[in-house]
Amino acid sequence: MPSSQAPPIGATALDPTALRPPIDDAAIERITPADLLARLSALKASGYTMLLDVGAVDYLERIPRYDVVYHLLNIAADAATVGAVGKPRRVRLLVGVPHDALEVPSAVDLWPNANWPEREVFDLFGIRFSGHPDLRRIQMPDDWEGHPLRKDYPLRGPATEMTPRPAFALKSNVAAGTPASGKTAAALQRQIAAARAGGIAPAAHEAVAAAQSGTTSSSATTAGIASAKELAERPINLKTDSNEKS
Amino acid sequence: MSVLPDSIAMDVVEHTNNRMVLSMGPQHPSTHGVLQVITEIEGEVITKAEPEIGYLHTGIEKSAENLFWTQASTVIERMDYLSPLSNAMAYILAVEQLLGVSAEIPERAQQVRVLLCELSRIASHCVWLGTGGIDLGAISTFFYSFDLRERILDLNEFAGGARMHPNYLRIGGLNGDLPTGFLDKLDIVIDMYEPRMREMRNLLQKNPIFQDRTIDVGILTAEESLAWGITGPTLRAAGVAYDVRKAFPYSGYENYEFDVPTRTEGDAYARFLVRLDEMDEAMRIIRQIRKNLVGGPVTVADTKFSTPPKETIALSMEALIHHFKIVSESFRVPPGDVYQPVEGPRGELGYYLVSNGDNRPWRVRTRPASLYNLQVLKKIAVGELIADMVVMIGSLDPVFGEVDR
Repeated sequence: MPSSQAPPIGATALDPTALRPPIDDAAIERITPADLLARLSALKASGYTMLLDVGAVDYLERIPRYDVVYHLLNIAADAATVGAVGKPRRVRLLVGVPHDALEVPSAVDLWPNANWPEREVFDLFGIRFSGHPDLRRIQMPDDWEGHPLRKDYPLRGPATEMTPRPAFALKSNVAAGTPASGKTAAALQRQIAAARAGGIAPAAHEAVAAAQSGTTSSSATTAGIASAKELAERPINLKTDSNEKS
Repeated sequence: MSVLPDSIAMDVVEHTNNRMVLSMGPQHPSTHGVLQVITEIEGEVITKAEPEIGYLHTGIEKSAENLFWTQASTVIERMDYLSPLSNAMAYILAVEQLLGVSAEIPERAQQVRVLLCELSRIASHCVWLGTGGIDLGAISTFFYSFDLRERILDLNEFAGGARMHPNYLRIGGLNGDLPTGFLDKLDIVIDMYEPRMREMRNLLQKNPIFQDRTIDVGILTAEESLAWGITGPTLRAAGVAYDVRKAFPYSGYENYEFDVPTRTEGDAYARFLVRLDEMDEAMRIIRQIRKNLVGGPVTVADTKFSTPPKETIALSMEALIHHFKIVSESFRVPPGDVYQPVEGPRGELGYYLVSNGDNRPWRVRTRPASLYNLQVLKKIAVGELIADMVVMIGSLDPVFGEVDR
């Protein structure tokens, strides 16, 4: 029984759109990034006046690796006949984007509402849109590294340890091997103080031994658990690490 | 998510006149969630506005890719948390299209789905009406509309076990038949709707202060709405009668009589009136379903992807096996991609699903109506008064669970 948290990275990344069951939801066209703008403006001129959505799919092992997906809608409404809407039609453009040329022309000049979804595709997939007026991250913080919706991005984020926040500093000490039972916060404070003063505190010896025998580098952190040596170097009140380094 | 965008910050340096930059939100009570709008104002007039989103990004699309097809609908219901059933409806219809069982869904299941979706449309518009009134200082409407909403949430709880996220719609039908006594409770809501709605209309519709604050504020024309991808009541208030329920009928909407209310003014007051009329139309659909509700099963017969009825599990070995298989490893969905929209309370809410034949979705892409509706704020806010910013945000009715996902 597979765990519900295991990311499906090893799954086969075939091209599902080629094996599609007959579903009448939209006309489907597959084009290259070079033809995109010409095709979009032709469709717009022929009545597809609304850009419904811009999204992307990462197929991981397929060539080209990504699809940028445009959904267009033709609702045959103009200012003269407002209120009267004929039978609408949808079209879907699939634009293959190879992993070594992550660039697609931006549709912002044709439809102003392409602005945010293109920023979102850039943010979450790392595909750039040339000619976009304001290509910044939109959902993730500006200083985020990586593009979370890629299939090779782990579900719970990269396994690097972030700078501990002061409120959680003592918790991560506990995770580093200090027995949880019978230890008060004050005792942990004393232990860290002792470690800073010189030798490593007795209770942390085991963690050091495990770290040295298990991995080659003692500074390597695995799955968010800090090594005892690193702990010993950390200040107790944890102002900021950057202040110390500079 | 950002601090000051460069474009606005540069202007502050260049212009040495009276312009100033004002950051509104993300913790402002009238932004209906966590929205930051960085505005540049000259006196009280907005000269530039840049909405910043992403403060509620929870990675629901990524989570859904890592869950079974059956489990994903629970997180998907949490996107638009004011009308969770619309989200579930769109996702489930899309999966059923991939499975090729859309035509086999029993009629009773389709009717109950529409019934609950229209109820949740009313419940969602109740929040918009109540909080929209509070934005303008009209506090009483809030209590009236939330009372009506509470009754509808009680119905959700009675049917699905939870008030906000009942997870009652399932792939292949429903979680179970409606409980005994549901229709009696529904009748109480139907009976109280008319007088309650009249009270709420009396409080706001002819209110001169409310009209002063909303008429000619945040005007969007039909062409602009189409260019900006606006859907739902905001589009219909500009005069375009596009409604997914009429244009691409799903789940039996072609069987019901209802109108698509439109206005031509395109201002905040027109959006207010369109939403009120839409609530009446939703109640009209509910009455028709109440009158013509058919009997019969509520799930497809194939228990390979629809959990067998609970009472058969203790009696039938096969039912037990199927139940165990669905819960423990779900089922495989044929490879393909599909785009399925529904008419949510905010507009066209679509799901673009990609399956690679596995028991988890390969990609779940939402077409969020709120995101596109909110994006136009940077256009309609220019030239308006800073005090009307909350009116415009309220009239676009964004839900940030859906904008940020």
